Amino acid sequence: MSVDTDPTTQSANVRKDADSVTFEDVNWDEIDGTARGFTRTRIAWYAIMGTYLLALLNDLFNRFAEGAYQRTVAFITDTSRYQVETPGFIPGAGPAEYPLVGEIGGVTWLWSLTLLVGVFYVAIPLYQNQRMTAYYWREFKKNKAAVISLIYLAIIFAIGLTVPRFMDPPEVEPVLAYQPPVWGSVRETVPIQCVGPVSGGECHGSWAHPFGTTHQGKDILISIVYGMEISMQVGLIGMFLTILIATTVGLTAAYFGGYVDEILFRYVDIQITFPTFFLYLLVVYLVGGSLFVMIIIFGVLGWGGIARIVRSEALQRREEEYIMAAKNAGAGGLWTMRRHLLPNVSNSVITAATLVIPGLILAEAALAFLGLGDPRLPSWGETIADGRSDLDRAWWISTIPGVFLFMTILAFNFLGDALRDALDPRQGGGE
Amino acid sequence: MKWYIFKRLLWAGVATMVVLTITFVLMYLTPDTRIMELEFQAAQSGTDPEQARQAAETARGMDQAFHIQYIDFMQNMLSFNWGWSDSRSEPVIDALASAIPYSMMYGVPAVIISTIIGIVIGLYSAVNQYTRGDYVATFVAFFGISIPNFWFAIILLVIFGTWLGWVDLLFDTQASKIDGEWALRAIVSWENVKQLILPMFVLMTASVASMMRYTRAEALEYVESDFIKTAKAKGVSERTIVAKHIFRPASIPIATILVGDILGIVFVGSYLIEVVFGIPGLGYLSFDAIMSQDTALVFGTVFVPVFVAIIGNLAQDIAYVILDPRIKYGDR
Repeated sequence: MSVDTDPTTQSANVRKDADSVTFEDVNWDEIDGTARGFTRTRIAWYAIMGTYLLALLNDLFNRFAEGAYQRTVAFITDTSRYQVETPGFIPGAGPAEYPLVGEIGGVTWLWSLTLLVGVFYVAIPLYQNQRMTAYYWREFKKNKAAVISLIYLAIIFAIGLTVPRFMDPPEVEPVLAYQPPVWGSVRETVPIQCVGPVSGGECHGSWAHPFGTTHQGKDILISIVYGMEISMQVGLIGMFLTILIATTVGLTAAYFGGYVDEILFRYVDIQITFPTFFLYLLVVYLVGGSLFVMIIIFGVLGWGGIARIVRSEALQRREEEYIMAAKNAGAGGLWTMRRHLLPNVSNSVITAATLVIPGLILAEAALAFLGLGDPRLPSWGETIADGRSDLDRAWWISTIPGVFLFMTILAFNFLGDALRDALDPRQGGGE
Repeated sequence: MKWYIFKRLLWAGVATMVVLTITFVLMYLTPDTRIMELEFQAAQSGTDPEQARQAAETARGMDQAFHIQYIDFMQNMLSFNWGWSDSRSEPVIDALASAIPYSMMYGVPAVIISTIIGIVIGLYSAVNQYTRGDYVATFVAFFGISIPNFWFAIILLVIFGTWLGWVDLLFDTQASKIDGEWALRAIVSWENVKQLILPMFVLMTASVASMMRYTRAEALEYVESDFIKTAKAKGVSERTIVAKHIFRPASIPIATILVGDILGIVFVGSYLIEVVFGIPGLGYLSFDAIMSQDTALVFGTVFVPVFVAIIGNLAQDIAYVILDPRIKYGDR
């Protein structure tokens, strides 16, 4: 968590005061002022979050409140409502238009929030505490597989975040169907029209479509690049929501104990009994599988395991002296949880969080593969499913996106394992 | 202990009721696509869609009050009257009964084999920690945990079906039957076993991997313990130490993961694997039901793993207190 106060300047102030005055005349107001910590980072955080919330409220108002009445009337009189659509938002007047970015969808709202939190609560603290960062890095570096994984994931993340901004999504072009990848070849009769060179009855791949095309003529490379962003969105937003709920529930239960604990964790018991995948399946089947709905479902239904970890960890921390000291100094429940319990359970949370991501990415891919996702989104699972009926003719459609899916999941698993070793001295190697 | 077992039984009952209630509420709140379709048809043919909807709702008992529908639903569910499958024109229970043997045919052997392999490799890994063998095993475990099994199944089909031509791309549903009846002779015939090898292999990758990791972690707790050192000092053979002094205390937590995690992995895994290989088991049935919007069948097929999970959890908790006298009953 961010450390906003600089203890050295603080104590220097105190010492200066103590030198000049005979009695220890500590200016508590001044210390309180610095302790509350309106550093530049903090101000920037409040400013950005304020803007974000205002924009979000405006968007929500546009979607749901303003003109919702006309929409409802139009909705009732319009027979097109009988067409079954994948429901995203309940229709209002439609999303708000913003300068530069235009309309902002549900996933984008969550995605930008996740990224903002990532910058302010992970990147900036790491930059500000360079000594600790260097220490973590030294520990982390011992694990070669994890370093490679981190580099791979950083590349996937960077490409997924930037390239779809200026590249058009894959287009359906039936004429260009079944182009083989650049290093491969296929019988001349398979594609309608071969883009690459043809020799000896074989159609060879070309750099126009390095990974080939699907049965609809969609370029697989472009699909994969778009799939990178989708997978990262699913994994990171899902993780963010999961962590948010799991730590809140876990800490609340551990801090208050008694009935609060009993009720919250009886519920968790039930939620954990339900096999997550089938829960996702059922809800996605009933509600419809737009990416937004899927991410929300992942975030809202998959936090039971981490909440348990947080609870058991926080129960131990609760008994330690610093919590007692904080309470003696008059710290309230929220303050104790946020400033004293949370930082001390954060290591287990970070590890568990990293290991949540591959599960979410895999779940999204599996649901998309089963045809429950949004068919317009070129997610990896969707592309794998696209090529399933063409295994005998066009092996590359299903296999190439799967390589990326596999590598990404593997990388997150390696990363989680290394983080556990680096951050969590209490747990031995092992599982 | 009797009181504890009674409490767990009661809790399993409560969990079942909660699951059923949640499903009912979900069903109640989401619009029925079949009725929407009927409305659409009515609107197209010029009749009043509102009337068509009402007629359909009356026929399905959906015009009743919420609590009456709820009681009806619960009664039906608990008496295994799980509704009528529109897409297959038979009761949901019958559809399940004809599908489940296909899943068990490869699922049960896969669970047994992967448990044995997983435990053996896990124990080896723990005893030989940080050796080359351990690293290889760890890498294989990561591979097994990370590989998306539906994609792995496709890869194997491409290699062994398309390129090598060793297996058929289409699953032969009659290979395990003689004259349309299940027969043990047909199930173990080469024709049938050949087409089950790949699904079993894919299903086993994930379960072997997690079994192995878990066994390794559990066994490591004992590898350095005093009684192992004593046994070594007395000159007990390596094999006896592993079998009697490490595996025995580690077997209780290992047994719990078998019920909890492995069952989950197998159910999810088999769902996707059956879709890829075209095995008409529980997973494929469910997939088919989703594709044809057959809600009753979707619920039926999802309930099976959910109830197995509830019963599995119950069995796991009870087995735990019976096997391990140190467990305090009130514990979560």
